[in-house]
Amino acid sequence: MDLTADRSAAEPEPHRTAIPGVHQTRGRRRPSGEPPPLPRALGRSGRFWIVVMAILAVFIVVLAGFQIGNSLERGEDAFVRWFAGMRTAWLTAVVRGVNVLASPVVPRVLGWGTILALLAVRRWRHLVVFVGVTLVAVWLTSHLAQLTGRPRPLGVTILGSWRGPSFPSRPLVALGGSLMGITYTLVVPGRPRELAKWASWTLLAALGFAELYLGQYHPTDLLFGLALGIALPVIAYRLHTPNAIFPVTYRTGRAAHLDLGGVRGAAIRQAIRDQLGLTILEIKPFGLAGSGGSSPMRLTVEGDPNRHLFGKLYAKSHMRADRWYKLGRTILYGSLEDEKPYNSVRRLAEYEDYVLRVMHDAGIPCAQSYGFVEISPEREYLLVTEFLEGGVEITEAPVTDAVIDDALATVRLMWEAGLAHRDVKGANILVRGESIVMIDPAFGELRPSPWRQAVDLANMMVVLGLRTDPDRVYQRALASFTPEEIAEAFAATRGVTMPSQSRQHLRDAERTGRDVLARFRELAPKRPPIRIQRWSVRRVTHSVAIAFGALVALGLLLDAIRSGAL
Amino acid sequence: MRRSALALVLAAVAVLPACGAGAREDVPFCLEQSKNDGLLILFAQAVPTATYVPCLSGLPAGWSFAGEDARSGRASFWLDSDRAGPSALTVTLTRSCDVQGAVLVPSAPDEAGLQRYERPSSLPPHYVATRFYVFPGGCVTYRFSFARGSSFGLALEVGDAIEFFSRAQGAKLLAEHGFRLCGAGVTCPG
Repeated sequence: MDLTADRSAAEPEPHRTAIPGVHQTRGRRRPSGEPPPLPRALGRSGRFWIVVMAILAVFIVVLAGFQIGNSLERGEDAFVRWFAGMRTAWLTAVVRGVNVLASPVVPRVLGWGTILALLAVRRWRHLVVFVGVTLVAVWLTSHLAQLTGRPRPLGVTILGSWRGPSFPSRPLVALGGSLMGITYTLVVPGRPRELAKWASWTLLAALGFAELYLGQYHPTDLLFGLALGIALPVIAYRLHTPNAIFPVTYRTGRAAHLDLGGVRGAAIRQAIRDQLGLTILEIKPFGLAGSGGSSPMRLTVEGDPNRHLFGKLYAKSHMRADRWYKLGRTILYGSLEDEKPYNSVRRLAEYEDYVLRVMHDAGIPCAQSYGFVEISPEREYLLVTEFLEGGVEITEAPVTDAVIDDALATVRLMWEAGLAHRDVKGANILVRGESIVMIDPAFGELRPSPWRQAVDLANMMVVLGLRTDPDRVYQRALASFTPEEIAEAFAATRGVTMPSQSRQHLRDAERTGRDVLARFRELAPKRPPIRIQRWSVRRVTHSVAIAFGALVALGLLLDAIRSGAL
Repeated sequence: MRRSALALVLAAVAVLPACGAGAREDVPFCLEQSKNDGLLILFAQAVPTATYVPCLSGLPAGWSFAGEDARSGRASFWLDSDRAGPSALTVTLTRSCDVQGAVLVPSAPDEAGLQRYERPSSLPPHYVATRFYVFPGGCVTYRFSFARGSSFGLALEVGDAIEFFSRAQGAKLLAEHGFRLCGAGVTCPG
């Protein structure tokens, strides 16, 4: 009996929210052992280099444990002598030319060039990984050299200039790190990257040949140099800037947004089909300008007729960005209550799904959630919600009295439901006809503190005041709120509690002579500011830790510059 | 799990060399004190013509090894002192050196075969001076740069701790183990 076929043809499961007009099947449970829709991939080269690193670690243990140093040294020296035996005048001249690659100037120019290019294209994550991996490689190389203090090959005349102990080959580490940095942070995946890899390999092979020919390094020095120069960067880029999440692309768009085509596109289709029982016909990036914390998209779902759903893809990068954002706020502003970072991407998606469902149950106008699906365990989750057809961002829609009333009534409704949206700004308020819909409640909070709720009112009034007139908004607000409540809202509102979009719009308005915030404060009864910031042990320890980390990084950077690696 | 495995591999690569080379130190001690002759050989390789290589017979109280730099054409190391300050003495081996303005002084009995020159730049209490030892195929330069108020006796003390190891003797020792130290007295292919 084919149970799968029977189930796929069955009606939607009773516990799943039905989506009107959409063909919905039962879905399919992923059995144990089956890979997720988007498995985490280190890539063949990543796995290869991990194996190489492991082999080299074993090699060092064997070298240390079995006292074979002398015989190994003799063998290597003999090999270098044999290799040097092929020296001829013309070949030596050519090899000396190739050995220019060993000059510290080459990786320095390539390294700083890469840093400048990454700054220019604002690829911050790649920049951090590039600098980090360079510093680690420099540190490892210099420590290995100091610890071993290995002389240059014996029994052969050494040609050309060299510096320091021979183990590991510093020029190969430096050149390999720079070339891999360029390949993985600046060259787009596909054929260009393959070509860049081949070019890098050719240059490194030429340099390795030159170093051996000139009698400057032993074969194991070169192998270890290659391992550190290539394996370390390749593994670091594969782990921290995987193509699937941080694609190197020169198309316009915010870096926080993930590529929705290719492997990920297929994974999204499979995940939604298996987990929500929906057939996706098209995936299209949507509303990128207003979203930096996730990758939003419009999904076309098979139905009668086909209809649109909205998807928000959360990845580890978004969670980390949220964590850094909150850490920055903690240091800058002190500990704001409940501004705790999420500890996993799953929690982030779960939380937004939950808040949307609570808001929907409370009758607050918002997109209905249809749940979230797992794309890559603990790394990527996609929240699927209703697509608000015809919704226009309030900053671009006509704002009538009815819209103002509906927006203010929505805040009142949130107050009564014990909710705070916490990110009330133009980009999160859509207008459909004469009513509004709140979107993006990822920062939403249940049972928030009074000032949190008050801030929602002030932020909503600021958005409305910017679009219309503060006096008009204030008068209409009196229908839903008391003057004291409005005074409380503006007493709790300042830069730290306002979304950056609203702050920007307020600054723009001020330049044209309209101080919307000041006008609201004039209209509302006077009230001293509400204290919302506080010092905490966490703020102090984080500040000290960040300062210490910055000092260590600066020290490593100076070390790298001094040693010529950067 | 994968990340832990990777971290283990990286940690092993970073730390394991220390297990094997734990006894090794990047201090150019003369052979009697050193378990590692690698640095001395490296120094000798840096200046293949030099018939002597400077090394440390030990470190006087209050002195510490601060660093070394060996490259083709020159090799140097420098010492810190808790009284004379950081990099109070830098010792450099080169193929030749410019002794213009320096005074030839009699060498000590244990410095046979070496010509010693002194060129003081500043006398105590702020002692700054350069000393040269010239020998066939090489020259060793001592650069004293003491902190103000340091005793001149420190220069004598640390000077006694530096010795000259004969390349010929080193080459002989290496030959016993099947290695050839190319340079003065030993010609190599290529």
